[in-house]
Amino acid sequence: MLIKLAWRNIWRNPLRTLILLGVMIFGLMSVIAMMGLMNSFYSNMINNAIKWQTSHLKIHDSRYPDDPDIHFTVSHLSQLKAELDQQSLVHAWSGRHLVNGMIASARSVRGVTINGIDPLTKVTPLKARITEGEWLNDLGRNPILVSQKTSERLNLRVGSKVVLTFNDDKGALTGGAFRVKGLFKTPSSTMDDNHVYVRKGDLSKLSGIKGVHEVAILLNNPEEAPRFVNTLAQSFAPDIREQWLIRDWQTLNPVLKTMADSAEVFNRVFLLIFVVAMMFGIVNIVLMSVFERTREFGVLMAVGMSKRHIRFLIMLESGLMGVGGTTLGLIGGILLVSYFQSTGMDLSQFGDGLNGLGIDSVLYPSVSFQEYAMAFIAVSLATLLSGLYPAHQILKYNPVDAMSEKH
Amino acid sequence: MSIQTIQLCKTYNANSDFPVHAVDHLDLTIQQGEFVAVMGPSGSGKTTLLNMLGGIDTPTSGDAIVDGYNVSKMTEKGKIAFRRDNIGFIFQDYSLLPVLTALENVEFVMQLQGHSEAECRARALALLKKVGLDKHQNKRPAMLSGGQQQRVAVARALAPRPKFVMADEPTANLDANSTAELLDIMQQLNEQEGTTFIFSTHDQRVITRAQRIIVFEDGRLTKDRQNPDYKRHTMSAS
Ligand SMILES: Nc1ncnc2c1ncn2[C@@H]1O[C@H](COP(=O)(O)OP(=O)(O)OP(=O)(O)O)[C@@H](O)[C@H]1O
Ligand SMILES: [Mg+2]
Repeated sequence: MLIKLAWRNIWRNPLRTLILLGVMIFGLMSVIAMMGLMNSFYSNMINNAIKWQTSHLKIHDSRYPDDPDIHFTVSHLSQLKAELDQQSLVHAWSGRHLVNGMIASARSVRGVTINGIDPLTKVTPLKARITEGEWLNDLGRNPILVSQKTSERLNLRVGSKVVLTFNDDKGALTGGAFRVKGLFKTPSSTMDDNHVYVRKGDLSKLSGIKGVHEVAILLNNPEEAPRFVNTLAQSFAPDIREQWLIRDWQTLNPVLKTMADSAEVFNRVFLLIFVVAMMFGIVNIVLMSVFERTREFGVLMAVGMSKRHIRFLIMLESGLMGVGGTTLGLIGGILLVSYFQSTGMDLSQFGDGLNGLGIDSVLYPSVSFQEYAMAFIAVSLATLLSGLYPAHQILKYNPVDAMSEKH
Repeated sequence: MSIQTIQLCKTYNANSDFPVHAVDHLDLTIQQGEFVAVMGPSGSGKTTLLNMLGGIDTPTSGDAIVDGYNVSKMTEKGKIAFRRDNIGFIFQDYSLLPVLTALENVEFVMQLQGHSEAECRARALALLKKVGLDKHQNKRPAMLSGGQQQRVAVARALAPRPKFVMADEPTANLDANSTAELLDIMQQLNEQEGTTFIFSTHDQRVITRAQRIIVFEDGRLTKDRQNPDYKRHTMSAS
């Protein structure tokens, strides 16, 4: 009976109720879209950082990170290879020969990290990012991949010649002529600015160093990374593993971990702000609708409706509006997010800024079930509570005073 | 099952230079089943008295003992249940719930009392029939005339089987015909259900219909007499 009464009371002023519902639906849709965008923003940034930068795990010589000396290669490589090949958690791994040096064309010179890689590597998805020319293969002498950006700076095209110079194992300046085999473009401008890729064998020949400076590992499941660091270490005798530094992506780039957490915090704060704002709106509307009916509440009190029932009635009214608005808003939000999930949200107009952060220019927002549930519960609860204050205010009246009000 | 007031007072602005004694040391007894009109000039304290007897207003001093309950000493919560189960109210402006139909308005307080749906429905329909509105049971108040609304209000007041009905100027907004009809209905219910009716009025035509007439002036009782013209209702309602 109270539900019937509350329901009809809500529709006494349909315009006002519809405005409130509209605001809630629109607001909740924006909040959810925003949450989805934030999630994809951060997860994209993290995934790209893992893809292009940290992989899930990296192994270096224990001295290398502090002093990237060309001599500090990863020791016991063949044992490590054997172990990695038999670990089922490992999706792919790659040994890289890294040298800091210069790339020079007829036009200009730049400092770069020269990556000597195995053309068959599956760790970085660079092969899919070739925009012109081809990926490295066994053919030809000294092929090199440079980023589009570098090619523009150095005025290079596919087939152009460049010279790489760096210090060899004896500290003497060495170098060689390379021919541009392909151009690439990654989502990260730092990556594009600072890295060139050659065959490991070619680089090794010039540097006089055998072996690799870095072993990058991709796992089947990124969550396993911290645990796998230990698993791997345990598989080797202490005297071997002490020569290595094995680090997972969170250790390699602590900012990423912070970011993943901050996306969550950001979304909660965002939701909280929305919920509080919503509450003010609903309290205001319920207050108006309650005080327009002061006389009526006076009559209800006079005929013997208990305070508990009156409070319940008012909370039902705000709760019904709230749960209705939340449900519709959530449905709208889900539709909006799934729409953008299929089409992608094209942010290429902000492309340059995003690439600076290592983010793709088309994002696919996603909102987890937990986040939907959290939004639903928080907003519904807030609207239910929004009835409390107006109820408290009206219950201060005694019946005679309430009935003598004009409304 | 009577009403008794002992030195009942209601003073407004008690601490000011001009306190208003809306009800001034009133001693009054009303027996179960009476049909009482309270008359008096505007501001004489009729509304204040009815509100105190009905337990929606609190006396400044003195006691109002209604059916053995001392209304002056009841808790807020106790008063609400007391009103729900013992007092029916009829207001000058009908005060029906606009979103409920005539039938639902009549059922409402019975539902608060916790009667079964079937019971509420049956009694509400019976009462609507008695007040001649069974054909309008599904209309909301806005679709009814003032006289019809006040008849619904009478049915609503009677539905929870109160012992007393307080009606503050129930006919003030009604035309002569509606007034007569309403009084017929009230008197009939008074006789059939044994419910005590206390109504305030300025209207001479209403006063002549009362069984007992109480006259108020400045919060004091100045006359209290049985009405020699009072006729018991014949069984047919108009
Ligand atoms: N809330 C209030 N505050 C101050 N004075 C009040 C209040 N309510 C009533 N009064 C005063 O108490 C006195 C009695 O008022 P009451 O309403 O009981 O008279 P009444 O007989 O019902 O008058 P009417 O015929 O105009 O309805 C009046 O003088 C009125 O001004
Ligand atoms: Mg009055």
